[in-house]
Amino acid sequence: MGNNQSEIRPVKILLVEDNPADVRLTLEALKEERILNNLLVAEDGLEALDILQQKGKYADESLPDIVLLDLNLPRKDGRDVLKQIKTDNRLKRIPVVVLTSSEAETDIVKAYDYYANCYITKPVDWNQFKTIIKTIENFWFTIVKLPRGEGNVK
Amino acid sequence: MERKDNAKLFECEVNKRKQAEQRYRTLFEQSLDSILVIDPKTLLPIEFNDRACQELGYSHDEFKKLRITDHESTETAKITRKYIDEIMLEGQGILETEHKTKDGYKKHVQLAVNVIELNCNKVLHVIYRDITQYKQSEARLKRMVDELSRSNRELEQFAYVASHDLQEPLRMVASFAQLLTKRYHGQLDSDADEFIDYIVDGATRMQSLINGLLKFSRVGTQGKEFTPTDVNVVVEEVIRNLQISIQETGAKITYGELPKITADTSQLIQLFQNLVANAIKFHSDASPQIRIEAYHRDRQWVFSIHDNGIGIEEEYLDRIFQIFQRLHRREQYDGTGIGLAICKRIAERHGGRIWVDSVPNLGSSFHFSIPDKEGK
Repeated sequence: MGNNQSEIRPVKILLVEDNPADVRLTLEALKEERILNNLLVAEDGLEALDILQQKGKYADESLPDIVLLDLNLPRKDGRDVLKQIKTDNRLKRIPVVVLTSSEAETDIVKAYDYYANCYITKPVDWNQFKTIIKTIENFWFTIVKLPRGEGNVK
Repeated sequence: MERKDNAKLFECEVNKRKQAEQRYRTLFEQSLDSILVIDPKTLLPIEFNDRACQELGYSHDEFKKLRITDHESTETAKITRKYIDEIMLEGQGILETEHKTKDGYKKHVQLAVNVIELNCNKVLHVIYRDITQYKQSEARLKRMVDELSRSNRELEQFAYVASHDLQEPLRMVASFAQLLTKRYHGQLDSDADEFIDYIVDGATRMQSLINGLLKFSRVGTQGKEFTPTDVNVVVEEVIRNLQISIQETGAKITYGELPKITADTSQLIQLFQNLVANAIKFHSDASPQIRIEAYHRDRQWVFSIHDNGIGIEEEYLDRIFQIFQRLHRREQYDGTGIGLAICKRIAERHGGRIWVDSVPNLGSSFHFSIPDKEGK
């Protein structure tokens, strides 16, 4: 369970995922695990970058605390999004969790080469999926110390 | 008296030579290969056997007016002429070319050309043979090999992509069915609960089948290079990996000195691990006793894994290495039936094979061979 700090303010999550059923599953997992959150969904890579770079209708959007990134996305691939986040001085400290169905060794290696914070394969089992979502929240917002400031939990 | 003797002797000698001449003439004339003696300057035949002209459909008189290159297209004739020049320098050579028959049919021929001296002149002694059928079956074989390796590659790619992309929708079916069970169990009627259970069960099983397929196709697509591998280390690793089931069943695994071989180390671990895991899984009432052995025979290493398990009925011995073949009901022994298919594929990728001996209720011995690249 999160400590007091993480319960005060909802965790802001950017979920980059093109499959609406998958988005719904993540929402349900957050709900069942009682993770107080503010979930923002980008359906492709371009939209994800618009949100992060506060472009257009996202001009007033604050930066997320964490990004859950699928790799195979329409328009702009998840790998490109990852590369852009990690080479942008303003964004590179935001933890990026690659959450994908790919188990291919090349995908895993590439993700870490582009400085993904971790790589997780989505499990088929619903209970395992919930555990993973809970663990991500627990690890990044309770165990790990992140710098204060925009883009991080205060 | 002496003269008479000499004349007799001379006549005898002549007769002998005539016989010898006759004998060699017969060898020349009745050969199934075409034999020609050719003047290297004009490329016209000086002498040839019947076979040579019959082969191309000419009469003796027609054939003697034709240069050896006249049977070829202008293109190959040029090459042949150049090659003959080389042979004149080197003394001999073998070439393959295409000859046309009088009727215009093409024949593949192989020419063995030797430079010899006849009456103080250098001439070409040529033996040629029709190899059209051989060439045709060679081409057919090559086409088949190309076709096979192409379809094999496609199949591997297909299995990989299919199993990969099938995971996604399957995850949705399984996860939402599980969500349904969790939230609505007991709120619908008992039929609905049962149906949902079947959906979850089916999706979970399909998931393990797809995973099996993925693993199976990876043997071909993600194989590593063969490196020197110490089988002792491989078996130690396998025992470590199987620690939990070894403890649960009280299995005892023994092995002697095992060799170093050339193999894909991680696939060799997988191969041993599948076989040892099976030996543990299919144990009888007694606790599993497993013995791993290796011996060297005909330039290959043969590894054996003996167990005292339930054994396999003879009629099923052929089937067990096929993909998704299972011998037991799910309640009895769980599994997808992919493990031994993977073992077979790994052994075959290494140029070896896998087989089994078994006595029901007494135990099984699985053997696989790996060629010894060190040549010991």
